Amino acid sequence: MTDVLGKTEEIVEKAKAFGADEVVAKTTFGKYRQTRFSNNQIDITVAWNDYITDVSLAWEKRVVATQINDFQEIDAKIDRLLKLAKASKENPTFGGYAKGSFRYAKSMADKRLPDLEDPSRFILEAIDAAQEEAGSQIECGGILFTGFEDVYLVSSEGAIGVDSRSGVELSIRVFSEREASGHGVECSSTLTGFEPSKAGVKAGEVARMARGPKAGDEGVYDVVFDPLIFGSMLDVWADMVSAFSVMIQSSIFVDKLGQRVAPEIVTLKDNPGAYSLANRVFDDEGVPTRETVFIDRGILKTYLHNTSTAKIFKTETTGNAGLPFPEAWNVEMDPGKVSRDDLFKEVKRGLYLTNTWYTRFQNPAKGDFSTVPRDGIFLIEDGEVKQSLRDLRISDNALSILNNIIAISKERQHVHWWGEAETPSLSPYVLVKDVHMTKSR
Amino acid sequence: LDEDLLNYALKYAQSRSVEYAEVRGQSQVIEGFVLRNGVLEESVSAIDSGFCVRIIAGGGIGFASTNRWTEKEARSIVDLAFKYARTARRKDAISFAEEKRVETEYTVDQRKNIEDVSQEERISSFGEIDKALASCGVKITATLSQCATSLVSKYFVNTEGSRISSFVPRIGAYVFITVVEQGKTEQSHEQFGYSGGWEALDEWNISERMIHDAKALRNVMAKGKAVRPGNTDLICGPKVTGIAAHESCGHPMEADRILGREMSQAGRSFIYNGGSYWIGTRIGSDVVTVVDDPTLAHSYGYYAFDDEGVKARRRYLYKNGLINEFLHNRESAAKIGTRSNGSSRSMSYQTEPIVRMANTFVLPGDLSEEELIEDVKQGIYMKSFTEWNIDDRRFNQRYVGSEAYVIEKGELKDPVARPMIETTTLKFWMAVDAVSKKVEFDAASCAKGDPEQTVPVYDGGPCIRLRGVYVK
Repeated sequence: MTDVLGKTEEIVEKAKAFGADEVVAKTTFGKYRQTRFSNNQIDITVAWNDYITDVSLAWEKRVVATQINDFQEIDAKIDRLLKLAKASKENPTFGGYAKGSFRYAKSMADKRLPDLEDPSRFILEAIDAAQEEAGSQIECGGILFTGFEDVYLVSSEGAIGVDSRSGVELSIRVFSEREASGHGVECSSTLTGFEPSKAGVKAGEVARMARGPKAGDEGVYDVVFDPLIFGSMLDVWADMVSAFSVMIQSSIFVDKLGQRVAPEIVTLKDNPGAYSLANRVFDDEGVPTRETVFIDRGILKTYLHNTSTAKIFKTETTGNAGLPFPEAWNVEMDPGKVSRDDLFKEVKRGLYLTNTWYTRFQNPAKGDFSTVPRDGIFLIEDGEVKQSLRDLRISDNALSILNNIIAISKERQHVHWWGEAETPSLSPYVLVKDVHMTKSR
Repeated sequence: LDEDLLNYALKYAQSRSVEYAEVRGQSQVIEGFVLRNGVLEESVSAIDSGFCVRIIAGGGIGFASTNRWTEKEARSIVDLAFKYARTARRKDAISFAEEKRVETEYTVDQRKNIEDVSQEERISSFGEIDKALASCGVKITATLSQCATSLVSKYFVNTEGSRISSFVPRIGAYVFITVVEQGKTEQSHEQFGYSGGWEALDEWNISERMIHDAKALRNVMAKGKAVRPGNTDLICGPKVTGIAAHESCGHPMEADRILGREMSQAGRSFIYNGGSYWIGTRIGSDVVTVVDDPTLAHSYGYYAFDDEGVKARRRYLYKNGLINEFLHNRESAAKIGTRSNGSSRSMSYQTEPIVRMANTFVLPGDLSEEELIEDVKQGIYMKSFTEWNIDDRRFNQRYVGSEAYVIEKGELKDPVARPMIETTTLKFWMAVDAVSKKVEFDAASCAKGDPEQTVPVYDGGPCIRLRGVYVK
């Protein structure tokens, strides 16, 4: 493995010798495995082996990037990249890559994950758990994913790092009827504590409760968001708090630093901790990752930065590079003071939403959007989950949803899901008042 | 592409007890850049090259890919795919619908070769767009422009003797603008796509389109009236027709969804065996015919053979208002007892081919756009859209207008602010009473599958007129 680090260093040295001012090279040797299932049977198992080096460099503030596969044709590719830089235009806002050498936390990646002998046993465990909840006639689909990466990063500005990153994820959707379904996920960085049956129980429980749905009514509701659907909202805010989203005005947080954007009970952080699917000890410039509170008791404190965007905003990097643009790794919402059960009891008449898909904005700067709930929509009356509903759409505003949070549960779940909750998160049950729901006519 | 190594991988796969195997090599030369407010943020140049093997063995499917081009690695991924296929332990074995053996090669022509266009010229072309927007008289507070070219070479071989080489150059662009007027903000984006050479830039007229959008947004903010909710006539411009064709015809007609293979991700379909909708069921009026056609020359979704080696052809999805033909790959076709219609696409060598659209559009009628409008006493013309979405059965959908106008007594009047239609697939297509004769296309990137695969497509159609639909 030191050979891989050596070759990554060689790329940086060559780029410097060819004339680059600053260079960062990151080599990732990844093994990714995914088993897909539907109708209670395995459809396919897919394996990807990836050997790739991402190279970013600057020459006289011309910023260019390439990928080198398996250390092939290094000289030719670096030469081509420098020629591209020389034909490009200056980016006056380029602030350089992070300077200095750093110490990193120890990786906690799970070395068992690259090649599991029989991954389908996890799927069967989840299906069995779902059948326990919702009966043997259910139809289940989903994925089991495992990933393991060895990452080697070398920067001409001093950073040298080696990291291992791992993840395991089981996602299961259960249909108890044609229009009654539930979804559960179980996500972890390691096999320790990974319990696929939990995802099966959740999906089966929601699918059972969702039987016999009636068409819902348009209106304004107090809504309990399940951790999975709230993970989709956290994903929206995570994307919008990237400094680059702010710079292109694709964010509700433009010009709101230091302002109240949520009630005092809301604290949001980015933290690619050891438990997370996004676990990493350094970012793509080699800066150690850390916990960054971006909304502190309702006040927007910072955007997420790499070195260049930090200079534009006259602040420090938050360890969220992303080259060329910063990104969130793993969003955490601080827990509240009420239990999940007590949170439901606060609702006289409202909805419980469990999952969603197809979130689209009219205008990201203003935040008007809609999204289509699925996998269990329930009417809550006097604190109790009652009738299963269907065919409703959230038609609201991303800033309003944030502002209208009135209770957060103590319980939180690490969630990640295809399509919507793409940024992994630590997500609680959340009660939001005055959510606008619409339907087809 | 090292075809000898790919042939070696297939031969090695044949030495195992496989029922079927294919090997696909793919190389993409990618060049691109991002401009923010006219400033070049970053340029990218890369060659992504690798290969994959897909195997049916013991009734299951295994797939493995790599970007390490060695015989040892080839054997390794064949062994992995073989192992994973056999561990599926399915109750019903997977098979592929029968296909002819094909040996061929095809390329897409470029009038202006992408490789001959210098980086300076590329950047300059998009810099001119920013300059044009800056001087168009509309207050534009932010722009983001992206351009990417890809030269995609593929080599496909399978155990049935098929062998297909192809070369498809593609160019795509995206522009996002923020317009401010009277303290209000509106945003718009356009995507452009083409299979062919740099001549696409001459055909797109990006500056003209973006200036049009900027002025339309300003107009809506300055003069746009609120909609009075109620039933009214609605004319959808080609952009709105196209997104509806894609979302509420193309997607629900994907056979893998119909069979449940996407149940956990993109979902299922309102069409299913034993349900209310199947082949022959009415879903729209007589004037509605929606096709998907990968063979449109220079279209963004163009291909001559799909990623299972099946010859591409036009598919009539909804025909004269009736559900007519699903989109199939070989796996779904076998399950339904038919033949593949060449709808199997993969984003890269790292992903399995799955059922996809290519270029989905409503076929034209005989009327002009003016004739459609003339016959509306009171209505809305939704020329373009902003927010949209649809449920995972592809039945409940919504489109929010961006550029839109009131129609009174057959004439376009004032702009209208964000008219919205939230309706079902059945109500939408049944309400169509007339279709104009000029088809226009828009480029899009369609996402599906897990891991998510984004493939280039066109959506399109003519203007269509819907009678008496609820607009709010």
